[in-house]
Amino acid sequence: MFVIVNGQTHSLPEPRTLGALLRLLSSAPPFAVAHNTEVVPPGAYEECRIAPGDTIDIVHPAAGG
Amino acid sequence: MEERQSDDQLVLYGRRFTRRLLLGTAPYASPAVLADAIRAAAPAMLTLSLRRQVSGSSHSGQSFWDLVQETGRTILPNTAGCCTASEAVNTACMARDLFQTDLIKLEVIGDETNLQPDPYGLVEAAAELVRRGFQVLPYCTEDWVLCRRLMDAGCEVLMPWAAPIGTGQGPRNPRGLRELRERAPQVRLIVDAGIGLPSHACQVMEWGFDGVLVNTAVSRALDPVQMAAAFANGVRAGRAAFLAGPMMPRDAAVPSTPEIGRPFAPASSQLPMDHGADAVSFH
Repeated sequence: MFVIVNGQTHSLPEPRTLGALLRLLSSAPPFAVAHNTEVVPPGAYEECRIAPGDTIDIVHPAAGG
Repeated sequence: MEERQSDDQLVLYGRRFTRRLLLGTAPYASPAVLADAIRAAAPAMLTLSLRRQVSGSSHSGQSFWDLVQETGRTILPNTAGCCTASEAVNTACMARDLFQTDLIKLEVIGDETNLQPDPYGLVEAAAELVRRGFQVLPYCTEDWVLCRRLMDAGCEVLMPWAAPIGTGQGPRNPRGLRELRERAPQVRLIVDAGIGLPSHACQVMEWGFDGVLVNTAVSRALDPVQMAAAFANGVRAGRAAFLAGPMMPRDAAVPSTPEIGRPFAPASSQLPMDHGADAVSFH
């Protein structure tokens, strides 16, 4: 199954959850995640089911004006 | 004067600040320069953004976050780069989750050339974010109707531009900015964008604006740390001047030195004149 992570295609193994995806990507805090543009709080990562073609955005603190 | 200034606090959504300069965090030559500039500016708040991780970026991720947190400054995340209301709202929600704050500097850009705010998207996004419990600081122009719509949407703070972002031109429409200040005395107004010199910051503070946000003018200076200190002084001087009550400009020249008693003057020129210096007597 493929999903779009930060604009790039990724293959996602079972289980198809956001938590599994974040472990696969070795995402290190601090970060925030949106699933199909909706923010997912940290406590809901494991329950967040991902379907083929879904979009995931992972963002980190960055410099800004 | 010192006591009066120390009692003078900037209140934004119930948060009290003793400083009136806000500082952006991008892009500095190095994290060390950024840290020194923050120390020199001692800003009320630091603006941040949120971005997808870019490999090789020295300011991204944990190290940048550690640097910002160590300053102890209040964080003001932005929605920089958003061009629609929905995009800005979603970005603000991610910022709240990431930074654990309801504060958001709302940017909805309507023109790629001058980075002018989109007034329609801005009002729409502001209303939605206020509804969701955000404390919204919208980046706007000095347009009175736009500002009124943003206030109607629930914004207690507005951030009118001085000039397009990153231009350093200073206030392009002084009359419009001053009219906004006069017509909205109850709203906190922080001039954002286009400030290039400490004198620009000082000037808008003299007009009664509540604060100034600068970024590029500091980060792109030859010596960002020295410029950060200069901006802090400029904002402080402008605020002090505003509180002191500047004189009203006059069309006619008026001598500041008393005429009475001037030596060698004919008696006819010794008439009392109507100016402040004559009103003071020394014993």
